[in-house]
Amino acid sequence: MTNDPELDVAPEPEAAPVAEVDVTLVIPVETADAPIEEVVTALGGEFDRLGRSWECIAVFDGSRGPAWEAAQRLVETRPEQFRAIAFQQHFGESACLAQGFEQAHGKVIVTSPQYVQVDPREVEYLLEKIDAGADFATPWRHPRIDPLLNRIQSAAFNLLMRRIIKAPFHDLNCYLRAIRREVLEDMAIYGDMYRFLPVIARRRGFRVEEVKVRHLQEWGGAGIFGFGVYVRRFLDVLGVVFLTHFTLKPLRFFGTLGALFATIGGVLGAVFLVRWLFIEEEALYSRPLFLVGVLLFVLGVQVIGFGLVGEIIIYTQARNLREYRIEKIYEK
Amino acid sequence: MSAPPSEPPPVESLDTPIDVSVVVPVFDEEPNLPILHGEISEAMERTGLAWEVIYVDDRSQDGSRAVMLELWRGDPHVRVVAFRNRSGQTAAMAAGFDNSRGRVVITMDGDLQNDPADIPKLLERLNAGADIVAGWRAQRHDGFLLRKLPSRIANRLIGLVTGTTIHDTGCSLKAFRRQLVKNLPIYAEQHRFLPAMSAGSGARVEEIVVNHRPRRFGRSKYGLGRAMRVLFDLMTIKMISSFSQRPLQYFVAMALPFAAGTVVVLGYAASRESYYPRDRGLEQILLLAFMLSFMACAYFFLLGLLAELVVKASDLHGSEGGRRIVTANLGGGDDRDE
Repeated sequence: MTNDPELDVAPEPEAAPVAEVDVTLVIPVETADAPIEEVVTALGGEFDRLGRSWECIAVFDGSRGPAWEAAQRLVETRPEQFRAIAFQQHFGESACLAQGFEQAHGKVIVTSPQYVQVDPREVEYLLEKIDAGADFATPWRHPRIDPLLNRIQSAAFNLLMRRIIKAPFHDLNCYLRAIRREVLEDMAIYGDMYRFLPVIARRRGFRVEEVKVRHLQEWGGAGIFGFGVYVRRFLDVLGVVFLTHFTLKPLRFFGTLGALFATIGGVLGAVFLVRWLFIEEEALYSRPLFLVGVLLFVLGVQVIGFGLVGEIIIYTQARNLREYRIEKIYEK
Repeated sequence: MSAPPSEPPPVESLDTPIDVSVVVPVFDEEPNLPILHGEISEAMERTGLAWEVIYVDDRSQDGSRAVMLELWRGDPHVRVVAFRNRSGQTAAMAAGFDNSRGRVVITMDGDLQNDPADIPKLLERLNAGADIVAGWRAQRHDGFLLRKLPSRIANRLIGLVTGTTIHDTGCSLKAFRRQLVKNLPIYAEQHRFLPAMSAGSGARVEEIVVNHRPRRFGRSKYGLGRAMRVLFDLMTIKMISSFSQRPLQYFVAMALPFAAGTVVVLGYAASRESYYPRDRGLEQILLLAFMLSFMACAYFFLLGLLAELVVKASDLHGSEGGRRIVTANLGGGDDRDE
């Protein structure tokens, strides 16, 4: 159950770190040539300018090389403010973020890509949103400066997300985000969830707002990704949709799907059966659509059965799944 | 910040100083709250019981929180449970139940459509031995086509499935003995079905006609488009309330129509005398029907076994907190209060 984006799981007994600084900057470092000194200087300078105390945690995702050496230099020059954590192997961006969040002391956590992707001055507006009561400020690179092909793919992805998840976000692939720490408490981040953090936070009832930011540069080549990338991306979306909408009511998902199958199948089967009984002389089994209909009907009923098992599972876990998180109880 | 939310609240003895807890989930009810609170205190003071009211703020976007805190400062009866994020009405009810201290818990909407003046009537029925008293809005001030008709059909269905006729599942004004709801895991809009579910496990559920007033401020937060969902919810409710300890039976019951189909097909095939070429393929159809219905049977049976496994693995059989304690508390006897 820990892999659940929407619900509480029993928190670990360890004490949560105390909020000591205003902002924690978390940078997942994927490649060895990441100019993290530049990132830290640019964003740190902004935090200083805004009069916010800050710290920075760089999480190296199995990468080393020049970036790691730069991190060592930063640790020496800013021992109070900068920490570097290294994974022994590649665990993915979600693991990096989760690790960084766990160690963060800031009231607000700002995540940044490993290079200066958008104008660092934009953090001011992100933090302003947080100050104004938002729980999560997510950027929207607008206008974008990367190649047309990328923009089209990205736009298609975001449009799909807006349609399917009904989340009003235009840019889920930009990671300069400002997040209030409450949002991240007891949220398990895994797999490709880092991409969907705004969606999940919004689904959990937090206020997520979008800020238009100026796009400076884009790493990563243009072009068509491998087929597998698209398939995986699609499965991620599917997983997020399923878990955000139906975790507590699996039967509504499986049931709707099953009822759809069963209805189509039932109608097809019934039509051919009636024709066979009263009109046609031809053998019924020679009508492929009849077979399809009957199979669909049985499939539909079976899918509903799956939903019922899902309900049993959720029911047995319901005691661990509190839907609410209390901020404060006011009592005498 | 409170204790971690998933940690069960400490077990309290039943002799709390509070008699009645009124739980009101609030989402954007700023103009209604002061009026509502005035009415609640008036009704409660008249009963002469020790009472508290718990306003659960489901992260209202308007000034509701400030109004609630104002009430909290001015009245020692008020407790406010503030959510960190928007979690929905069921969650708000669950939070109210979990944090209630009264021996009786009363739930009601925050939109003034329920009338707090009905509370004494509810309490009376509880005193007379009921475990749950559900309000019935005999005269609803809502649209017919979008609100009343669907709810009437849904209530009829719920009655058919659970065997308990409750005319008005959607009415929030209800009174519960606290043992029934304390630490009860409710989720996914189940608060509506509490009376039906509890009746399924032996609780005495009664209904009384309550006043229903038209909306004064704000707008309704529901809509149509729930028919299918209600149907699926019903299947769940039935399974959970009657079969959660023995899901295999439920699944076997689902397999029964297919089992009947299998038997009929087999019987027919056996009783047929000979093979006619002019059968237009009846043989093959019979074979197909037999295979599919037999498959469906086997499949449901296996799913039922899987469900048994899930229940077993979750330790729900042995846990003291499952819905079984509801049943255990309901046999009458000494843990009835008042």
